[in-house]
Amino acid sequence: MTGRARARSRGRPPVLESAVSSVGAASVHQVLPVQPPGRQQPRVYTSLSEEPGGRGCQSERRPEGLQISVGFQELSIADRGGRRRDFNDLGVNTRQAIEHVQDSKTGTSGVTIKLTTNYFRLTSRPQWALYQYHVGYNPEMEARRLRSALLFQHEELIGKTHAFDGSVLFLPKKLTNKVTEVFSRTRNGEGVKITITLTNELPPSSPTCLQFYNIIFRRLLKMLNLQQIGRNYYNPNDPINIPSHRLMVWPGFTSSILQYEKSIMLCVDVSHKVLRSETVLDFMYSLYYQVEEQRFKDTCAKELIGLIVLTRYNNRTYRVDDIDWDASPQCTFRKSDGSEISFIDYYKRQYNQEITDLNQPVLISQCRRKGGNTMLGPVVLIPELCLLTGLTEKMRNDFNMMKDLASHTRLPPEQRQREIGRLVEYIQKDDNVQEELRGWGLSFDSHLLSFTGRVVQREKILQSGNAFDYNPEFGDWSKETRAAPLICPKPLDNWLLIYTRRNSDTANILLQNLFKVTPAMGIKMNKATMIEVDDRTEAYLRALQQSVTSDTNIAVCVLSSSRKDKYDAIKKYLCTDCPVPSQCVIARTLSKPQTVMAIATKIALQMNCKMGGELWSVEIPLKEVMVVGIDCYHDTLSGKQSIAGFVASLNQTMTRWFSRCVVQSRGQELVDGLKACLQTALRDWFKWNKYLPSRIIVYRDGVGDGQLYTLVNYEVPQFLDCLKSVGKDYKPRLTVIVVKKRVSTRFFAESMGALKNPPPGTVVDVEVTRPEWYDFYIVSQAVRNGCVAPTHYNVIYDTSKLKPDHMQRLTYKLCHMYYNWSGVIRVPAPCQYAHKLAFLVGQSIHREPNLLLSDRLYYL
Amino acid sequence: ALTENIMDKNFKEEKFTGFTKFTPPLYRQRYQFVKDLVGKYKPKKVADLGCADCKLLCMLKFCGCIEVLAGVDICGSVMKEKMHRLSPLPVDYLQPREGSLTVTLHHGSVAHKDPCMLGFDLVTCIELIEHLEESELKKFPEVVFGFMAPSRVVISTPNSEFNPLLPGVKLFRNQDHKFEWTQLQFQSWALETAKCYGYSVEFTGVGHPPRGMENVGFCTQIGVFVKKYPQTSVSTQSEKPTEAVFKAVYPSLKDEKYLQNAVVREVISTAQIIKEILLNRLMLEHGEYNDDPTERKSKFQPSVNCFSDIGKLAVEKSKESFVSGNVVYIPLTTIFSFPRVNRLCGTYEKLSKLVAGQVTLSSDSSAVILNTEPEDS
Repeated sequence: MTGRARARSRGRPPVLESAVSSVGAASVHQVLPVQPPGRQQPRVYTSLSEEPGGRGCQSERRPEGLQISVGFQELSIADRGGRRRDFNDLGVNTRQAIEHVQDSKTGTSGVTIKLTTNYFRLTSRPQWALYQYHVGYNPEMEARRLRSALLFQHEELIGKTHAFDGSVLFLPKKLTNKVTEVFSRTRNGEGVKITITLTNELPPSSPTCLQFYNIIFRRLLKMLNLQQIGRNYYNPNDPINIPSHRLMVWPGFTSSILQYEKSIMLCVDVSHKVLRSETVLDFMYSLYYQVEEQRFKDTCAKELIGLIVLTRYNNRTYRVDDIDWDASPQCTFRKSDGSEISFIDYYKRQYNQEITDLNQPVLISQCRRKGGNTMLGPVVLIPELCLLTGLTEKMRNDFNMMKDLASHTRLPPEQRQREIGRLVEYIQKDDNVQEELRGWGLSFDSHLLSFTGRVVQREKILQSGNAFDYNPEFGDWSKETRAAPLICPKPLDNWLLIYTRRNSDTANILLQNLFKVTPAMGIKMNKATMIEVDDRTEAYLRALQQSVTSDTNIAVCVLSSSRKDKYDAIKKYLCTDCPVPSQCVIARTLSKPQTVMAIATKIALQMNCKMGGELWSVEIPLKEVMVVGIDCYHDTLSGKQSIAGFVASLNQTMTRWFSRCVVQSRGQELVDGLKACLQTALRDWFKWNKYLPSRIIVYRDGVGDGQLYTLVNYEVPQFLDCLKSVGKDYKPRLTVIVVKKRVSTRFFAESMGALKNPPPGTVVDVEVTRPEWYDFYIVSQAVRNGCVAPTHYNVIYDTSKLKPDHMQRLTYKLCHMYYNWSGVIRVPAPCQYAHKLAFLVGQSIHREPNLLLSDRLYYL
Repeated sequence: ALTENIMDKNFKEEKFTGFTKFTPPLYRQRYQFVKDLVGKYKPKKVADLGCADCKLLCMLKFCGCIEVLAGVDICGSVMKEKMHRLSPLPVDYLQPREGSLTVTLHHGSVAHKDPCMLGFDLVTCIELIEHLEESELKKFPEVVFGFMAPSRVVISTPNSEFNPLLPGVKLFRNQDHKFEWTQLQFQSWALETAKCYGYSVEFTGVGHPPRGMENVGFCTQIGVFVKKYPQTSVSTQSEKPTEAVFKAVYPSLKDEKYLQNAVVREVISTAQIIKEILLNRLMLEHGEYNDDPTERKSKFQPSVNCFSDIGKLAVEKSKESFVSGNVVYIPLTTIFSFPRVNRLCGTYEKLSKLVAGQVTLSSDSSAVILNTEPEDS
């Protein structure tokens, strides 16, 4: 794969991403068959992330005492599948421990900019409170339905507006007495005493209240006849059809209500759900005719595992974790009542679903959530009864398709704002919804929140004594720096160029163009050792084994196709057994004469970085600071490994980076490996600088929703521990910043009555940030189409005493330092480097690369 | 109180039957009975009186023959709480059903001559009549058999002779029951009613008595009423229509919009399968394949035998298609011969009409065009 192709395969459009979230079912065990008997207990992936696309992998621990009861979650979300996770990391209060941001966490520099955002204020009448009651029954009643029925015999007392989960009752009003006793009768004439005790008077911003708002809001969305899929709600009546790809896209919304800096707000973003009217079986059929027979099962697994499927008989979504080729719908399983039934009969009887294909394999989905008190086992799904959702890897790699799709889902600012406004319009127009809201004494602002942000000063790109300005509108300086020499060019004295006979012309074109472009960069280049090989993996490997010596600067391989196996084998060999930088190029990318020069330029720059060269820098006033980037990759395919990439700066200008990675098998804690990484990074820093850094700033990417607590309470203490172990007198200042790319927050800049994307360098640290955090948003990149997504930075630990303004500036500066892109990117360079490393290791190498390469960007 | 009773009616027996535990649970057996009946007689319009939490309706919505489903209950709150389960699922939009389906829920009494309830083929009253007050019960036959006058009526009610076998049951199985009848009481009421309105009735039930006590009869007794004369003049005057608290129109292939989507989808997927086979064959014939020395799939004898039927047809039919340059032409007639396409469209003309403008066709509109290579930019 080319770098671009790999980036593409990873670079899913954010809108789709947020939509394709998996959801389990709280009560699966009641409706879904357990695995057929006689099967071995399938693998249990405890360490596997729950997020598709893979985020985070720590075991999860949550702060206690702020969850609304399990029953409530069920009442609201789980009746159509939901999970009990604290997605919003409520109750993790990190700001209180950071002394220097107690009064203010806002920056100061830059020029102001008028912004609007996709938030609506939630308003309630003055002195509003939510009243929480405990409801007790004497004699004790078991069934929730019965408990509700008995309680609501007293609607005149309780009122029409209420939420009840079987034991906790929420009312918008205070009952006259603290303890109210009422009597109901069951069908058997049995008298039941119901005691309703006021337990809590909740202020609007209490965590319970916030969860409650979200529950009520979901009710409203349901009333609007939006369909819940996963965590979001979609409108099925007006789908976008893309028949040529057999796709259907449903427009919808993702929403959450939270306490933000000054007020409680509803954040609404447009979400698109990609649905496919194909069943998994249809998909298998069509795949069957596309691949060789012996590769069919593997290809199937590759395409299907990790996908989210929707069952046709109910509205549940499952993640495909495995395909069982030995099982079929004719297999039987034991129902909860002990009787044995085949899948065919079960689905026929239960849902009137005919299974026509009796020999199809079955899909296995591991249920990762605990249902009540029992841990649920694997769920067996019938391909014929499952519809595909989302995109397969293959579709993601289909450029035309993604372009088609993006034209529907990437909305420019104006249009996005219109779509978001539509939800509020729906809410305001619907009488039932309004009645429910009135009952609770709540309402929403009808306008998007507006406020003032800042655009920080533009950075100058420094390259060998020159300082370049770039056009902020594009956030790209490839044109400006084209003819300038690099900070540190590495000579190509002794290098290999390996290609097949068919591509010998291409190889020569590459060589000629490299000769054209390298002098301006300052790269001295000799003619490569040209090696012609057969188009087979072994041939490439043999050539490498024979020709790579300790003097080899780099091995360049021209590949005839994007087949991954060849690429993987080359990378694996040259990253582990024989540590030499390597560059793979797919022949086709060099086939267009009009672009070949530009591509050769990019390849030359990339090769230079891989050999330890440096391209450009920005001014970094902070001294003695080591910047660390961490990101994770989760092997969704085999579900076996998680890989954490770890990258640390080695010099003042942050142009050289040390790297290591942690290959973590199931059940292992990631943090132990990270400790070792930090230790070696400090050792290397010492080797380079002859002293230890006085500040360490960690940018931690790859943290999933709801994992903040784990990070604060496990990872950070381990980092501190590690630093302590370095030496008694060594007390560096540590900063840990959680970087989050996937956020629903969007900013729109108002310019002459129209909405536009805010320019790169826009910083927001007011209104939409959280009061309990030291957090801020930066829009660092520029996008050509659609809406730019800001990146969220949450400083969870900080003894640096750096002013917020400096922290923001440094973060933005680091977004300029990623050498594989002559422009500003979404995250600080160390995060992107860590991502690249983890991705390469996770996709191709599967074990830790040779440490001899660790001071070079060989993973670009 | 009725709320509770209706809500709990589904699980009362299991809870109190002790040794007389029914598998599957009795309420399921009753629903299954109705479902079997629907499967047998294929009614188009079905109404469930006393639909409570809509569970039966929910089961019936999967029956393809039903075009109209209606539920009536006196208790609005239970119905409202559970009515969303009757909404179409995402899948119903993605793979629309063949026939149309409209589901409505009405908040009202079964003793009310609601004009919305006219024209039904099957009316079910599962565990309903025992909840009716005497006045309602009196009016009930007139409303159901006289006014609504469907071709079939199913009425189920507890058999009080079975009660001694149900531990914990004192007088009635449920506090809200106004009466529970013996077999004789139910049968004489039913026969009387049937005679009066021109129906015949047959008795059966679910929940077999324990061995040796067969004379007790089924736990739930059921009467199936069939109208004797298909056409009886409806002269009774209706009362005020009740409000529909819920209405869901299911997407169906009867709707041109959904039909077109389905056809286009099927056409494209069929064309792609043919294309793959054609290209594979051409590659073999020309021996051009040089990527992997390992053997290529040469014939379509799938190891997974489910892939055989369409496969065989596709292999056979791929001969009618041809490649020119980097474009594959697959005649629409070929695609039309595939059973799924054929079933959807019915006629070739319809197929041509539906795919026009939606699928890339040859200049004379007789063939679907696909590129051999996905163009990459």
